[in-house]
Amino acid sequence: MLTIDFAPDGAVVIAGRLDAAQSPAAQSFLDKVSGAVKLDCSRLEYISSAGLGVLLKTQKRLMASAGKLRLVGVSRHLQDIFQYSGFDQIFEIEPAAE
Amino acid sequence: MNVRDSSRGLSAQDLEPILAVTRNLAAPFELTTMLATVVSAATQVLHADRATVWLYDAAADQLVLRVATGIEPVRVPADAGLVGSCARNRQIINVPDCYADPRFNPDLDRRTNYRTRCMLTLPLVDHRDILVGVLQVLNKTDGVFDRDDEALASALAAQCAVALQRVRMTEALIEGEKMRQQLEMARVVQMSTLPSAMPAVPGYDVFGTFKPADLTGGDTFDLAVLEQGLLVVLGDATGHGIAPALHVTQMHAMLRMAFRLGADLETAFIQVNNQLADNLPDDRFITAFIGLLDTAAHRMRFHSGGQAPILYFDAASGACLRHNPTSFPLAAMPLSKMRPAVTLEMRQGDILVLLSDGIYEYHNADQEQFGEQRVTEIVRTNHGKSAAELSAILLKAVQEFAKGAPQEDDITVVLVKRKLAAETAHRAFRRKVESLQEIFDFTASFNTAHQVEPQLSHAVDFTIEELFTNMVRYSKMSDAAVDLTLTRIADGVEVTLTDHDVEPFDVTKSPDVDVNLPIGQREPGGLGLHLIRRMVDSIDYEYSKEDRQSRMTFRKTLTGKSADGEVH
Repeated sequence: MLTIDFAPDGAVVIAGRLDAAQSPAAQSFLDKVSGAVKLDCSRLEYISSAGLGVLLKTQKRLMASAGKLRLVGVSRHLQDIFQYSGFDQIFEIEPAAE
Repeated sequence: MNVRDSSRGLSAQDLEPILAVTRNLAAPFELTTMLATVVSAATQVLHADRATVWLYDAAADQLVLRVATGIEPVRVPADAGLVGSCARNRQIINVPDCYADPRFNPDLDRRTNYRTRCMLTLPLVDHRDILVGVLQVLNKTDGVFDRDDEALASALAAQCAVALQRVRMTEALIEGEKMRQQLEMARVVQMSTLPSAMPAVPGYDVFGTFKPADLTGGDTFDLAVLEQGLLVVLGDATGHGIAPALHVTQMHAMLRMAFRLGADLETAFIQVNNQLADNLPDDRFITAFIGLLDTAAHRMRFHSGGQAPILYFDAASGACLRHNPTSFPLAAMPLSKMRPAVTLEMRQGDILVLLSDGIYEYHNADQEQFGEQRVTEIVRTNHGKSAAELSAILLKAVQEFAKGAPQEDDITVVLVKRKLAAETAHRAFRRKVESLQEIFDFTASFNTAHQVEPQLSHAVDFTIEELFTNMVRYSKMSDAAVDLTLTRIADGVEVTLTDHDVEPFDVTKSPDVDVNLPIGQREPGGLGLHLIRRMVDSIDYEYSKEDRQSRMTFRKTLTGKSADGEVH
């Protein structure tokens, strides 16, 4: 289960599990965002490589027009994945308050 | 024939002894008495010195002399001599001077120190025209046999034939019933030695069952906790009838006694073999698996005298291994020393599969054998089941395969399974990305049920997803479900994904991703596999060509090192 939507402050809130089955929905949502985008991951429970692919594709598109994704509220587990995958070098990551 | 002409016909006086004799013929119901009755009737009615009854043995096409006063049984071909000629032509032969007739065989006279002068030879043909035998009446007291005697003898012979046939058929029935009862008793003895309940062996799931064939068979098995360990026996004696049932029962008891007296595996095997070699007929032997399992060290040592195949399901590889006998069948010949025993290291989930050839050689109506391949497939597919369940599945498969063809040999199943220390859950999922939610629900409920450390669940789900989506993506030709097995192990979980009907593709060999490239050069492909190697303790790939099966197994524990050597 995954939900993705805008918060009142303009951030994109992604919640639930970003797995291969949910990635297309997330991708089509993120295809519409532009500029500097804060992605609130505090309720993102899980991400797979398919989800990483969605983020990577979005980051590439945004950076081409001087925008970028900033990931906030990133859990310990997600931080590990970003680190193992080298995505910590691609995204600005703000850990969740422990 | 040189017979004095006479036509006085049968008088009432002549018929009287026949009638008396006929009454007597109704009484006996065993052959010896009946033969004596016929002989006495013939000599009495025909005023003869001796009479002889040859019984026709249709199976051997021989005439068998069972009774003639003071004469040992004799067999002659059914076409030899006077009796043969009579049997063939079914006509009375009257020889007034035997030594002048070339058909006469004087051997019997010589053997019995008797001189046959004249002789009537009559066919014994019953009311359904079946040849029962030949009656010979020897040496009429006052001269030679005439036409009247022939008529009398024929009338008597007809009565005797029917009476004899009745007795023979009754005896055959009684004999058959005796055989059946004896066989039944032998079966009772055979089955009485089988374990009535399965022994409780900590860490093991053992099961044995025996399905006797209707008529014959000589299987046995044993599962018993002894001082030397768990005794595991499967035996199959050759031959038909009562003997095999008793032979295996002997072996069963001898083995128990040998081990009770403290024998080790080799001593028991050699001594029991040598004793059986003494006891059994030269053409009989017993194939037998005899093993002792050290249930603490999880080590099974066995000898097999001609019992094969010995199948061993190796849980780690998912393969069914095959072991061969270490010796020739028991009782074949004496043994003085043996090749070394085979030792099996029984790991968790491993199963020793012992089946008698009643299963492997079960023929269906098309004369096709059940065979080893089917057994292997069933074991590999159902190894997660309990031993009793696996046995039931095997027997059901045999029954379905037979399509009504009768069971011709005993069937015995002996299974020794080392239990998984942990519990296991298994489910099949449709090969599509949409199954992921079901998969995660499945792992979540497993984690709850088995109190899996919550820190592990992400890595486990992540790895399953990567492997599963990989299967979905790269095995488009197959629409078989993917099997997922979760096993609780110490401090963690072991997961196996089995992909059916696919080409080999070893994801563990996929190249690492350079995670330090600038974003412009980064692609999402290969990342998942790159990551899981860092997340799990171990990941193994295995492909079975026979089954076109890919199997991936990974373990994730709290304390483990990652598959690429990093501590995490």
